[in-house]
Amino acid sequence: MTSIIPMLQRVMFAFLGLVVLGGCSQENSQTKDQTKTIPFASSYQAVKAKPFVITNATLLTGTGEQINNASILIENGKIKALGDSIDVDSAVTVLDAQGKWVTPGLIDVHSHLGVYPSPGIESSQDGNEMTSPVTAEVWAEHSVWTQDPQMPLALAGGVTTFQVLPGSGNLIGGRGVTLKNVFARSVQGMKFPGAPHSLKMACGENPKRVYGSKGRAPSTRMGNVAGYRTAWIKAAEYRRQWDSYNKSLDTTKPKKRPKRDLKLETLAKVLRGNILVHNHCYRAEEMIVMIDIAKEFGYKISAFHHAIEAYKIADVLAKEGICAAVWADWWGFKHEAFDQVRENAAMVDKANACAIIHSDSALGIQHLNQEAAKAMAAGNHNGLALQAKDAIRWITSNAAKAIGIADQTGSLEVGKMADMVIWSENPFSIYSKAEKVFIDGDLKYDRNDPSLQPVSDFDLGILNPEGVRL
Amino acid sequence: MKFPMTSILILGLSASSFLLQIKAEDYLIKNATLHTASDQGVLENSDIFFSDGFIMQIGKNLKPSGNYQTIDASGKQVTPGLINASTQIGLVEIDAASSSVDSTTQLKQQGASFSIAPAIHFASTVIPQNRINGLTRAIVKPVGGTSIFHGQGSAIALLSSFTNGLTNKNSALYASYGIAGANISGGSRASAYTVLDQALSEANYLRHNRNRYLPGFDWHFSQSVQDLDALKQVLEKKIPLVIQVHRSDDILQMIALAKKHDIRLVISGASEAWQVADQLAQANVAVIMDPIMNLPGSFEALAVRLDGAAILNRAGVKLAFTGIDWQSTHNAYLVRQSAGNAVAYGLPAEEGLKAISRNTAEIFGIENYGQIKVGMQADLVIWDGDPLEITSMAEKVFIMGQQQPMVSRATRLRDRYWELDNISQKAYTR
Repeated sequence: MTSIIPMLQRVMFAFLGLVVLGGCSQENSQTKDQTKTIPFASSYQAVKAKPFVITNATLLTGTGEQINNASILIENGKIKALGDSIDVDSAVTVLDAQGKWVTPGLIDVHSHLGVYPSPGIESSQDGNEMTSPVTAEVWAEHSVWTQDPQMPLALAGGVTTFQVLPGSGNLIGGRGVTLKNVFARSVQGMKFPGAPHSLKMACGENPKRVYGSKGRAPSTRMGNVAGYRTAWIKAAEYRRQWDSYNKSLDTTKPKKRPKRDLKLETLAKVLRGNILVHNHCYRAEEMIVMIDIAKEFGYKISAFHHAIEAYKIADVLAKEGICAAVWADWWGFKHEAFDQVRENAAMVDKANACAIIHSDSALGIQHLNQEAAKAMAAGNHNGLALQAKDAIRWITSNAAKAIGIADQTGSLEVGKMADMVIWSENPFSIYSKAEKVFIDGDLKYDRNDPSLQPVSDFDLGILNPEGVRL
Repeated sequence: MKFPMTSILILGLSASSFLLQIKAEDYLIKNATLHTASDQGVLENSDIFFSDGFIMQIGKNLKPSGNYQTIDASGKQVTPGLINASTQIGLVEIDAASSSVDSTTQLKQQGASFSIAPAIHFASTVIPQNRINGLTRAIVKPVGGTSIFHGQGSAIALLSSFTNGLTNKNSALYASYGIAGANISGGSRASAYTVLDQALSEANYLRHNRNRYLPGFDWHFSQSVQDLDALKQVLEKKIPLVIQVHRSDDILQMIALAKKHDIRLVISGASEAWQVADQLAQANVAVIMDPIMNLPGSFEALAVRLDGAAILNRAGVKLAFTGIDWQSTHNAYLVRQSAGNAVAYGLPAEEGLKAISRNTAEIFGIENYGQIKVGMQADLVIWDGDPLEITSMAEKVFIMGQQQPMVSRATRLRDRYWELDNISQKAYTR
């Protein structure tokens, strides 16, 4: 594509940022450091769907199992039962999936859908608040355009949940948000119930380039690190003030209420463990520096994103319990992306660390299964014995774990949300297509029924007044 | 597998196309499924014999005489070495390291005359990483700078590192229309159209009146003299004019422009080309596209769709594929994934293969490459499965008959860190 399109896409992946996870549930139990009502709370309501059972399917559960000739029963939007032999009321609707495969709905931990929408025009570049190197006060959800036509395209690729992150132009880019891939008139209507917020942090070239080119700090990697630590020192002090104030409320002599600060409020929530850190970081030594910063200030890094060199430190990531979210094969666009190996995800998995394939691309998000397939094949070509049941975790349960929703979705297990995809064949084939995509047991997309293929407001009448875009 | 520069033979064919030959052993590949990309289609359980870099025999149970290595490829599939029709291989080492990028110029007098061939770096790490994944050839093109004409691209073979793999010095001349063309022409497509039209008219005038214009003469043309001279090859139909254009009515304008100036037009990008598939077929205009790109990323690409390639093929349009724009250099081999997706969305498999081999060779005039056919150079890949399947891997790669090492900088890094023990000794594993 010419001109503006690749430019914007480059900007998107060049500025992968940091996301803050902060869950509504956590916020409910939060200390008294903010207003009583939860702002921008999820208003998502699952569509109440009738019970149904999928039969004769090959299930990839996302827990490392493959169950052949299996059935899966859905009731009240949840998985009620699954296995090669389950009891089902004869009144329940049956979907015969002979020859087809069923996986959990795919989850992308790194997208910019809605904040870098299509078409990529000047006025829609809403993902990177590059006016200060620490913008923990901004929330990606406030930039999300719910009618981004890229969302239904991702749904057709089997993606039921995606995290939207601010870009990576800043050291601390702001809060990210996890959305269900559903039609809504508000971003609150898409917010995954109970999902924590994330905090997007970024290592390396992007922040130092953005600010160094303006003659401001940071202009070096050491400047980056000074910037993170300075921010966390302020956050720790802010937290201490609020903790002290909150504690005083239970005494006879309440202290003066500290001034509320949106930036430090977000960072304090990270220190309290209510927001999950998603850290854009390519290089091995930078990741290990970031691990030390996290230890210095007492927070945990949930995942390194674009972790090009994760394979070099896979043992460390395993020990620290940090996920590595990676591309299957992208490389070369920056010096810090020069040491990519095709086996990266497989080598992380081999070390028993948490491997995730992410997209950072509205194109890649439509083919997460293919990206995982390439990463799996590369590992196997070098002697591993990865199977579909293993690699599916990289785009389902491991992703759910990293964004704090693994107790609700990301695997085919009894009690989990019925976020599922019926694939025409093994999803790790290039010929495989998502045929039916369910969110909370409701059929949101059916490849064989145009009336069940959502189109955004933007798609409506855009090519000709009577039609839809696709 | 290292050959000194002196082993390269260059057999002249024309000014911009020549036949590059390298020293190669003789091989017999046996019992493979051959996806020939030729009129023979798919040949099951067949053999290929190649000698001195050229395919000599194709058939069952071949028993050539002489000395050669035999490779049993039972259960394997063989294709021509693949090609990506739009890359910056050898012009870009790291995109964000400007000192390693040679794909564009800001020199005002270099538009059409900007010929990227001398800058192509054949020891780039990008070449082996693509080669081990089955890419044996590439079209290398300039990126637009200050002129609506981007310059002239080349065709290369991805030979081992100190070999100059240039096969076609100037294989096409590039320009842009639509948003990109407008941006560089004052802000409107209408201006861009005029700039293209006037340049072609002036180039045509100049080539017929060249003797009137001597050094020192006061030029009153819209382009530099060397740019107008460069357009001569297009006007003489020696090379195509590849115009990057997306919107369907913009494509029709370019078809009309090409007809007016009697040039061979190829369109590139082509997001909405399927909407004017019949007009493209009728005008015999080939299309370079990435069939996996289905994002309505701009207002000139709103109609883009995953079955666009299939629709164009059904209308009879010749297709050449590239891969996703921002990885079409470092991972130019991913053109195979793009082709596979086109096939998943309705393009016949053999047409998908042709769009990453034969068609590209034909569009850009690359001699003796692109098919598994007697007389062609032996650019061959042995795959461990369906060559368009996402999980298939290249097992052996031959370029001009020479077997390529399956090693890249990335595989070296992989091997160094495959086991995470004895870290202090890693520096000594070479």
